[in-house]
Amino acid sequence: MTDRLSRTVIEPINPKLNVSRNANLPHSPGIRIGEYVFLSGMGPVDPVTGGRNLGPIAEQIRQTLRNMAHMLESAGSGLDRIVKINVVLADIRDYDEMNRVWREFFPEEPPARTTCALQLSNGNGVEIECIALSGA
Amino acid sequence: MALKREAIEPENPALNASRNFNLPHSPGIRAGEFIFLSGMVAVDPVAGERAPGTVAAETRQILTNMAHLLESAGSTLAQVVKVNVLIYSMLEYDNMNAVYREFFPVDPPARTVCGVQLSGGSKVEIECVALA
Amino acid sequence: MRDIIAAPFPGLDLRRQYGHHQSLAIRAGGLIFCSGMVAIHPETGEREHGTVTTEAHRIFENLKLLLDSAGSSLDRLVQVHAMIYDRIEYDVLNRVYCQYVPNAPPARTVMSVQIEAGFKVMLDVIAAA
Repeated sequence: MTDRLSRTVIEPINPKLNVSRNANLPHSPGIRIGEYVFLSGMGPVDPVTGGRNLGPIAEQIRQTLRNMAHMLESAGSGLDRIVKINVVLADIRDYDEMNRVWREFFPEEPPARTTCALQLSNGNGVEIECIALSGA
Repeated sequence: MALKREAIEPENPALNASRNFNLPHSPGIRAGEFIFLSGMVAVDPVAGERAPGTVAAETRQILTNMAHLLESAGSTLAQVVKVNVLIYSMLEYDNMNAVYREFFPVDPPARTVCGVQLSGGSKVEIECVALA
Repeated sequence: MRDIIAAPFPGLDLRRQYGHHQSLAIRAGGLIFCSGMVAIHPETGEREHGTVTTEAHRIFENLKLLLDSAGSSLDRLVQVHAMIYDRIEYDVLNRVYCQYVPNAPPARTVMSVQIEAGFKVMLDVIAAA
């Protein structure tokens, strides 16, 4: 029988982005397990104030992905190590706009992705989660 | 040494929906022991266009295309460990399930099915994780 | 190598109970991928529709039975998709949820979706073996 993989909690270096702790929610920002990192769903949180940045969907997506980059880099990983990413939009009509922004963050060999539209909280237009490879 | 990740593509270029629809995702990514596929909607393997239809027809086309994509990457449907089925209405669950079972005759993967709003008028979208 | 994890109790075998074409859980690559879990009685398989609270309790108890039987545990959960019929009951779900994963909880995304059979809650989870 193979050894059990070790499981550790990932936290962002910037405490303003630790929504799990700041909002007292029962999740960890991310979990590292073996060679993989699983992140909780992330939204457009302002990295300075810790509040929500609700504006045009393009900006919400950019903010969310910048936050995701920070989260992954805090764990020694990065956006380019994401293998699978799931996007939830509050409004499916934002799909095309989402794709335009996306390329800015994933210019080459973008991760596998699934997108759907669901009811989101607090007026968020987007929530994104991912699975990434951990760092070297 | 860190694991590497690489994009996988279907051998049949008509099934490369990422490229053909100019979408910023890869059809799949291999990393370590697993292959993670992007959500797939029904695409015609000859014309490369979306092929909307009944839930049954879309499910059949998607899983046929999924088999091709996995085989292009050296895997198979039998190596799939987890499937997520997104369907436009849970009322059509049985229509999806009846076709689905044809593709996983033995020891089917773990699966979650839920009703969500999909893009482009698709009724079904399926993603999976498979062993490489 | 992928292993099927057998249902530790007959009611959890949704394939046999309801014709859902899925295995309860699969172990592969050091992870355990579970089919979406709903509020069913683990022995009889009977659907136990209720409140978000009662359904969530039943789901976690079922996951505990499943993961313990597979040599894992709730504290080895790595990712949860917490599916709920309406986000309005988000706080209710959280109150139950944190009782079962009090320390170093798994990564989570809450998704408001249409769930089978009119259930209010479903948990789609991946655990470490």
